[in-house]
Amino acid sequence: MARRRKRYDVGHRGNTTFGLNITSMTDMFTILLVFLLQTYSTAEIQVSPDEGQSLPLSGAQTNPTLTLQVSLTKKDLKIEQRSIASLENQNFVKQDIDPNDSNFILPLFKELEKIAKEEEAKAKAAETDPTVKFNKGVVEGKIILKADSSFDYGTLRKVMYTASMAGFPKLKLATVIGE
Amino acid sequence: MAYKKKHANHEFELDLAPLLSVMVKLVPVLLLSSAFVQVMVIETDLPQAVKEAIQQQQENPTANIQLAIDSKSGFQVIIQKGQNQTVEKVPLKDGAWDLKGLHLALQKVKSKNPEVFRIEFSPSADVPYRDIVLMMDEARQSKDKKIKFPITDKKENRQVLTDFMFPDVVFTNVMDG
Repeated sequence: MARRRKRYDVGHRGNTTFGLNITSMTDMFTILLVFLLQTYSTAEIQVSPDEGQSLPLSGAQTNPTLTLQVSLTKKDLKIEQRSIASLENQNFVKQDIDPNDSNFILPLFKELEKIAKEEEAKAKAAETDPTVKFNKGVVEGKIILKADSSFDYGTLRKVMYTASMAGFPKLKLATVIGE
Repeated sequence: MAYKKKHANHEFELDLAPLLSVMVKLVPVLLLSSAFVQVMVIETDLPQAVKEAIQQQQENPTANIQLAIDSKSGFQVIIQKGQNQTVEKVPLKDGAWDLKGLHLALQKVKSKNPEVFRIEFSPSADVPYRDIVLMMDEARQSKDKKIKFPITDKKENRQVLTDFMFPDVVFTNVMDG
């Protein structure tokens, strides 16, 4: 007994064990949890602005639905993160514009037409085979346009014009909440 | 002395470890599904009666409302009813868009044509995109909650009030050269 007491005393003096106070950590986690619950999104898809892109502010409260995303940044035009056409000084470079029609963006049209055909073929296949998945938004001609707020309507119109020519007349403009 | 002893027995330390472990698991899950920049789309999600009224208007249009936007002269709201055409002008105010004036003008037009929900935007090429989005916000819904517009719900055969003005926006000059 005397031996055991001696060992205990030595340990206690060295102060090698201690009880961790986790109260403050729990407080911090509670605050973090409330913040994350507030920003929790139940939207079908997550749309996020691209690097250096500033989307316009709007009071619109509609969640985006699953469809094709076209992004217009100061440097290039992208479809689902793939660069399709380039921009210089907020205008499309000459080689990307149809020489006979100044509003027609050739690479965008080709890409959109290709995607539309692929999805339509998938939709037809899905009629007989339900396991085949297709993008309903693309088949319905819907498109989400994420465009930098600094652009003029003239540049934006070229994208809208080409998209509608490629079979995407239903345009949804991506905006950030705020007024 | 006896009182003191009784109370000393009631002190205990709350074990927060299980609560903390639950939180540690919850935080990564919420972090993954959080949207720090909430991106929305400008689209119309409308009550059934409003949707029906829009559909009816598309089939049998009674009036055509157009908004011409020019960075030098401001707004022109053009209302075409059969052969009659009226124009409401909202000029620039101190060199900037008069969005309040536009909202009031559109409220006036809407109160005269409550059955029309479509507006045709025709901005000039140099109008900034961020301003077009603001104009769409002004046209979509009445900001004054007291001002509502009557429409007839044909299914229930009664009048319904809505604060939607022109949620159906069409860019008419997209196809222009």
